[in-house]
Amino acid sequence: MTTDVETERAVTAWYRSPRVLDVVGLLARLFLGGVLLWAGLAKVGKPLTSERAVQAYEIMPLGLAGWVGLALPFVEIVLGVLLVLGLFTRPVAVVSTLLMVAFVVGIAQAWARGLTIDCGCFGGGGQIGENETKYPQEIARDASFAAAGVWLWWRPRSLAALDRVLFRD
Amino acid sequence: MAKTTKKTASGGRQAKIQAAAGSGGGGANRIVVAAAVVVVAIVAVVAGVVWTQVQREAEVGTSTATPAGAQMGEGYRAFADVELREGAPVVDVFEDFQCPACGQFEAAFGGPIEDLARDGRIELRYHILNFLDDTTGADYSTPAANGGFCAADQGAFQDFHDAAYAGQAREGVDLPQETLDGWAQEAGITGDDLDTWEQCVADGTYTRYVTSVNATAFEEEGVRGTPTVKSDGEEVDLSGVSTPEDLAEVLGATS
Repeated sequence: MTTDVETERAVTAWYRSPRVLDVVGLLARLFLGGVLLWAGLAKVGKPLTSERAVQAYEIMPLGLAGWVGLALPFVEIVLGVLLVLGLFTRPVAVVSTLLMVAFVVGIAQAWARGLTIDCGCFGGGGQIGENETKYPQEIARDASFAAAGVWLWWRPRSLAALDRVLFRD
Repeated sequence: MAKTTKKTASGGRQAKIQAAAGSGGGGANRIVVAAAVVVVAIVAVVAGVVWTQVQREAEVGTSTATPAGAQMGEGYRAFADVELREGAPVVDVFEDFQCPACGQFEAAFGGPIEDLARDGRIELRYHILNFLDDTTGADYSTPAANGGFCAADQGAFQDFHDAAYAGQAREGVDLPQETLDGWAQEAGITGDDLDTWEQCVADGTYTRYVTSVNATAFEEEGVRGTPTVKSDGEEVDLSGVSTPEDLAEVLGATS
């Protein structure tokens, strides 16, 4: 017969078990990694659109923004692949989280300054109509990606990660 | 690394096991793998950017041809042989043959604008852009623009332009060759002229010119999308315009 205290302990143990936390880690990796891969692949081969998308934020000089636009898809793909593989999960999660925070800041400043742009998160981007903007949704979405990154930053251990195979940790 | 240190501090036995297994705790050397991953990542990003640029250069081609009266980056003057009335404003029309909104714009205002230009009341310049090819991934704007300027070689730009909007094909889908040829035929290009025109389009004779006009429009002239109409450099709002008279007024056309 179990006492109340023991039952409670068993319940707590359920979601605190390393196994469950590892699965959460795996899901976070696949979610953030998948999103980054998708976002990157959607922009490959569309140099003009990628350049304009970054330039539309009006944060950087046009030339620099153009280069950022050209490089960003490949940066996203590299981060996405590493996350899906689970290689160097913590450093990659840190970089990915900071990237998402940068996106949120970029969108928020565009909103605050009254620019009317599409975030260009998954291709597209640039100037759009005043009532076509989706700033709150875009920020919420990027924040959810950042949340997955923060989880992996805090607890990079996860199931089926190359980190465990290679480094036994 | 931090984890290894923690383990060593907490459990002496664990530390002994790890020490026995040698450096790296039995796994791969973390620093070597990290260095390899960083190098591969940097190479991948740089190679991606270089590949994108090479690809773009290849698409733009080497032809430096520009239509009569225009330099690289400049709009094409329609009805260039018309004598302008005094004080006629320069009207710049920025459009992309693939853009459905441009099709609607042309259906509503195309005729009246051409009338104004034909009467010398405005100096009409078309800036034919091709950004939608990049956005949609379809092969439409660039071949259509080439079609327009190859027709201009034969003095048929305006007719081709009008035919291309009247019979506009679907956005986001590669422009069928027959459709493109059909516009040329509607513009009165036939026989040997049609062969010349086809070769001119196939060579992408004006791709570099159109790409330069596109870049100038977005980077220097503050164009955000198409269609955009400017009169003497000022963007014109056509939303309240319903009659040719209204149009002449908002464009500042001379009477």
